This record gives sequence, structure tokens and C-alpha cells, in this order.
Amino acid sequence: MNKTATILRLCLMAAMTWLLAGCITEDEFDNTPSGNFEALWRTLDEHYCFFPEKAAAHQLDWNEVHERYRQKIVPTMNSEQLFEVCSHMLRELRDGHVNLTSSFNVARYWDWFENYPANFSDSLLRRYLGKDYAISAGLRYRILDDNIGYIYCGSFDHAYGSGNLNAVFTKLAMCNGLIVDIRNNEGGMLSEAQNLAGCFTNEEITGGYMAHKTGPAHDAMSKPEPLKVKPAEGMRWQRKTVVLTNRSTYSAANTFAMYMRACKNVTLMGTPTGGGGGMPFHSELPNGWSVRFSACPMFDKDMNCVEEGIEPDLRVELTEEDFRQGFDTMIEAARAYLKTGEKP
Amino acid sequence: MHNASPAQDTGPMTRLRTHATLFGVGYHNLLDTYLSPSEYTGTTVRILREHNRHTRLMKGNIAMQNSLQGNLAYCNSPTEDAKDIAGGVDWTIAWRYQWSPRTNLKVLAGPMAAAHLGFVYNTRNGNNPAQARAAVDIGLSAAAICDFRLLNRTWSARYQIEVPLIGLMFSPNYTQSYYEIFSLGHYDHNVCVTNPVQAFNLNQMLSLDLPVGTHVVRVGYQCGIRQSHVNHLKTHDWTHTFLVGYVKTFQLVKPRYRTSEL
Repeated sequence: MNKTATILRLCLMAAMTWLLAGCITEDEFDNTPSGNFEALWRTLDEHYCFFPEKAAAHQLDWNEVHERYRQKIVPTMNSEQLFEVCSHMLRELRDGHVNLTSSFNVARYWDWFENYPANFSDSLLRRYLGKDYAISAGLRYRILDDNIGYIYCGSFDHAYGSGNLNAVFTKLAMCNGLIVDIRNNEGGMLSEAQNLAGCFTNEEITGGYMAHKTGPAHDAMSKPEPLKVKPAEGMRWQRKTVVLTNRSTYSAANTFAMYMRACKNVTLMGTPTGGGGGMPFHSELPNGWSVRFSACPMFDKDMNCVEEGIEPDLRVELTEEDFRQGFDTMIEAARAYLKTGEKP
Repeated sequence: MHNASPAQDTGPMTRLRTHATLFGVGYHNLLDTYLSPSEYTGTTVRILREHNRHTRLMKGNIAMQNSLQGNLAYCNSPTEDAKDIAGGVDWTIAWRYQWSPRTNLKVLAGPMAAAHLGFVYNTRNGNNPAQARAAVDIGLSAAAICDFRLLNRTWSARYQIEVPLIGLMFSPNYTQSYYEIFSLGHYDHNVCVTNPVQAFNLNQMLSLDLPVGTHVVRVGYQCGIRQSHVNHLKTHDWTHTFLVGYVKTFQLVKPRYRTSEL
């Protein structure tokens, strides 16, 4: 009887141990300045995808960043002070897709366009578009005086139906060349960048590659898989195209530029894009602040990381003199290139 | 034919069937590190439909239980800045051998198969706003049913436990986006083999059948533990649900007429 009771007791203990050990939980940080700081640092440490690239480009050492900023955390600091320290730490990543959002502020890194000339003017855009331009799914388009088609794509937040794209390219079908202006386009949906790029290729092409992290280690990265651009089922543009870019061409627009570079008869013109070549994910801190970070890196068709931007084929900048005279240097350079092949 | 016997899964008659429908409300603790490292807690509502019948297998000693349950949960983050909305459907089928160590006690145990389909939606996230849940498992199911007399009526208490032992589940990889999986078709260990170490799941239920007039009312408590740790992503759904519903017992009667009489 005693033996049976002992066996039963052992079985019960083993079952309880299994039950307790079997609980799957995540390490939690306290909702204190130190806890929130550590949670933020670790979220980035385990999920951010560009540590190797940032180390190569800016000598970033994330452990050293931790040590440097940890010393600035004190238990008595208030939320604004903690937010300031955390936002300065995030700026070390030099990534526009990294944000910390609280109820009172958004920490951001905008040097990728603020430190550069705008190379874009709303006033000039209005002058070129006039008042009788057409709009389809956010694409503003018209035929310029010299029979060059012009499309201004200010974001990829709109979903393009085949009817939208057919309408645009039907109207522009008789043009001798086409300008697709994605200056100041700060992104949107990757799928729409892919859909629009599909109007410029007659065959399926590899526009770039995409990967993701497979674990918390900085170098735990999946094999990059090809990003295929499939030809649009409706109207497709067959003549020469110039894509205008500036530093505020970012995120999904950066990806569009990457796709267009892989298409035939397409020339990128302007200044380097702003980058943002990592699809961002969200997480949160114990105090409820939201954190955004790049999670899925993208590479161009030659496996170059596009996080720091894409160099155009032809460099053109907006000049003060043209601006004063009401001309957009970049649009004019594109028109000349499309008409005569003359390089700026 | 319908009677008010509270007996469940029991009896030698192979044509005896019980159908139970329960409605429940309870507590839900939800973790999904693909969406957030924080545990979200809130309320869950559940509906459970359960069918029990005896088969002709092993001289009629194998009882089959077929259950389908759906749940919907609304959970808050610890600071209540974000919400998770979760839902799911679970289907379980078990074949259990029945022993009767005592006249009023029955013990059942046997294999089971289960399938789970669900989702978790986080109201705040951008490119990782939701998580799909899909799993199939095989495991063990056991139950103990005790009938007793109280207030001159027969009552029935039941404890049931289900433990999946091996299965398959869907999971994105660590920071793999759903855009990669479903729009681009980039698969990367998205179907994972699970076992009790990396996906310790357990479902327990304690219920009491109360005779009320000619009907049987069932009240119960269900403790659900569904967890996984695959692709460096951790999930758990811990639920405590109180259920109430009704039980119907049917006995199929073979008609005694000839075909020519139709």
C-alpha cells in the first residue's frame, strides 16, 4: 500500500512539475524607467533587421549603445525625460522606420531627408499639372505640351484596380514618353508599388529580394527570396520612361524605384532615394508606448541592400534659377531626355 | 425518444446518444510575441456543442465523443492602450474505452484527434496586425464519470482531460510578414511539428449534470491551455470558462414495420 502511495505521489509530483515547466511565458520587464528602457533595447536587439548593415555603414555597436544610454536612466526620471533618452538611443540606428510613439510625442529619425535639399516644390507641381489634370486612385496625371505623359504618384496608400491603371495608360497611350514622378512619396503598400511597376514590364522579372529574421541573433536572417514583378494584365507602357526621385522617396516608393530599375526602357533620374528598405513591424513597451522597427530587409536585383537609398541612373537637382523662373529642373531634364535622349 | 437521465457516455446500449450544448463566459490570458511581448487579459465567450455515443467497437465498450466549440475574446494590454480580438474554432473527436470499476463510476480513456482554426487581431500594430492560428493534433482523452443520488434524483459529475501529443501547426517565422507568406508565396518553416515540450496544450473540464424536471441542465468549468514556442515565437491562450447549458439524451429505436407497409 505504501509503495503504491509513493508511486502515486511521485507521479503527481512529476505531473505538477510538467505542468509548471510547461507554461510558456515571455520575460516581462517592470513598468519603471529602467524596465522600459531595457524592454526597448531588447526589442530592437532581437527584432531589428539591419544591425550588420548599420555596423558596416555607421560603425553601430548596439551593446555599446546600451551601455552609454543605460547610464542616463535614473529611477526618479519622468516620462518626458525617459522618452528623450529612448528617442536619442533610437536615433543611433539612423532608420526612418524606427519610431517610438507615446501619448505626447513621436520619436523619429528624419535626417534622411531633412539634411538634404528638397528637390521638390508643390508650387512647381501645380504649375505643371495645371487645373485640368485627371486623378485615378491617387495618381494625378496629364499630357504635357510636348506630348510627354506625366504621372505624379504622391503615395502608395491607394489600392490600384486594373480599371484605374487601364484608364491612366489609355489616356497616355499616344504620348512619346512618360515621366513617373515619385518625389516626396513616403511609401504605403508594397503590393501597390508592385502593381504599378507591373505596367512597365512585359515579362515576369525579379525586381529585388526580401528576407526576414529567423531568430533573435543579429545575423539570424532567412535566405533572401525573389520579389517578382508580374506584368499587368491590362494596359502596359511600352515606350521610354523616366522615374523622378528625391531624398523623400522612401519606403514603398523606394521599393518601387528598385522595381523600376529592373524594368527595360526605364531610367531613374533625380537624387538618391531616402531608403527605408525594411518592412516595419510594431511592438510595445510595458508603459504602453508603441515601438516601430525595420523587420524584413529588402535588396535590389543585384543583392545590394536598399536601406540607405537607391542611386539614380542620372543625377539632376532642382536649381534656384529654374525655380525662380517657374521651371522644375528635374521635369525639364526628363522631358529633354525622353524627346532627344540628351542626358542632363 | 428523449429522456431526462443525466448519464453521460454511459450505458451498454449502443444506440444511446447524448447531445449537450453549453454557453460560457470566462477569463482569457493571451500572449503572442509576434504581436506584442505583453500578456493581454480580458473576457472570452464560448459555445460548446458535444455529442456522445457508443460505437459497436470492442463489444460496444468504445464511446465516441465529438465536440465543436467556438470562442471569441476581447483582451486589453496591461496599460489598456491596445486591444487584442481573438477568435477560434476547435473540433475534437475521441474514441475512448470504458471501464466500470464501481457501479456508479465509469472511466474512459483513448485516442483523440483535434483541429484548431483561429486568429488574433491587435488593434495597434501596422504590418504585423494579426496572427492566424491553425493546428491539427492527435493525443489522449480521458474522463471519469460518477453518478450519485441527491434529493432523490440521480446526478452525474464528470471530469475530462485532453492532452495533444503530436501535431502540426502554422506559424510565421520570427519576423516573417504575412505579405511574404500570402502575397509573395515565400514559405519558411511555416508548418511546424509540435509536441508537448514546444506546444504544451491541455484542456480540462469539470461538469455536473443536474436533473431539472424532465430536463437535464449541465454546469461546468473549463480550463484551456493552448501554447506554442516555435520559430522563436511564443504564444499562449489560457482560459477559465464557466459554462451552462442543456443535455439531451436520445435512444434510437429501430422501426418494426415491413417495407411493404410503407
